[in-house]
Amino acid sequence: MSERTVDDRLREEYFALLPDARRVREELEAEVRHCLLPLSSALDRYEKIEITSRIKDCESALGALRRRQEGATFDPDQAESYSLKSLNDLAGVRVLAFPRSRWYEANDALRRHETFASWASDPVRSDDRSTELAFKYHGVCSRNVKPRAELQIVPMLIGLFWEVEHSAIYKPSPHLKGALATQEMRQRTNDVLQAIESFEAEFERLVRRDPRTS
Amino acid sequence: MLTTASKTQILEDAGYAYSIDRLSYVNREARKVFSVEFVQDNPEAVIKAAISERTPRGEWKFYFNSAPSEAVKRELSAIFSR
Repeated sequence: MSERTVDDRLREEYFALLPDARRVREELEAEVRHCLLPLSSALDRYEKIEITSRIKDCESALGALRRRQEGATFDPDQAESYSLKSLNDLAGVRVLAFPRSRWYEANDALRRHETFASWASDPVRSDDRSTELAFKYHGVCSRNVKPRAELQIVPMLIGLFWEVEHSAIYKPSPHLKGALATQEMRQRTNDVLQAIESFEAEFERLVRRDPRTS
Repeated sequence: MLTTASKTQILEDAGYAYSIDRLSYVNREARKVFSVEFVQDNPEAVIKAAISERTPRGEWKFYFNSAPSEAVKRELSAIFSR
């Protein structure tokens, strides 16, 4: 019989963690929805808050862990040192908000919530690092500390770009995520996010000045 | 100091291609592999010197920030030799 590979061992760990990951996702989504209820119920017609949640699928989780190793290769002699529990985003909730003023409000409300106040902040920043393009936090839920979870609070159009990018490219071919490790692709991605940010900011400025919406 | 983008150009001009799956720049003929981390963290002169470095014929040479284990070398050599 052939020896079990690191991938085999991690797949087994994934399915052992899956029930906990599902509970974390449910708890997290419920807390986020509850926390944002006052904001969601006060939105104007053109404003939006959308909340989605997901669990990383097995191969994406393995790929994410593998890409953390230099040369994106697991060392079979160190098999015991790899664990999917080290991923920050096995379970995740994403909040999409439009316009940007609601994005900031959603972030403030969630940051004040007792569950998320202590979570580590890891925002997506502009290339010169002067602007936050999306807020990201990771930590553990109160009732379940095994898989770590991620909370993303993202301007609507940036979040929709990520969803299109994911479903068009990385969902069918998860290994293509490795393209994003190059400086050139990181630069192009940042260019797209900054262009979307600029579009959204100008759109919001016009909407605010419009006599019908102001 | 040049940007990583120009270091990438130096590698591409020397016949290296980026392996999306292994996050490394590879030249099968020269049998050399540069990790993205190594390229990001080292200056152009180091990259150029590594490209020019003479290596034993038939052996793969890995330019990583942390030297890969023998098992990792075997696996990557097998993948890149296919």
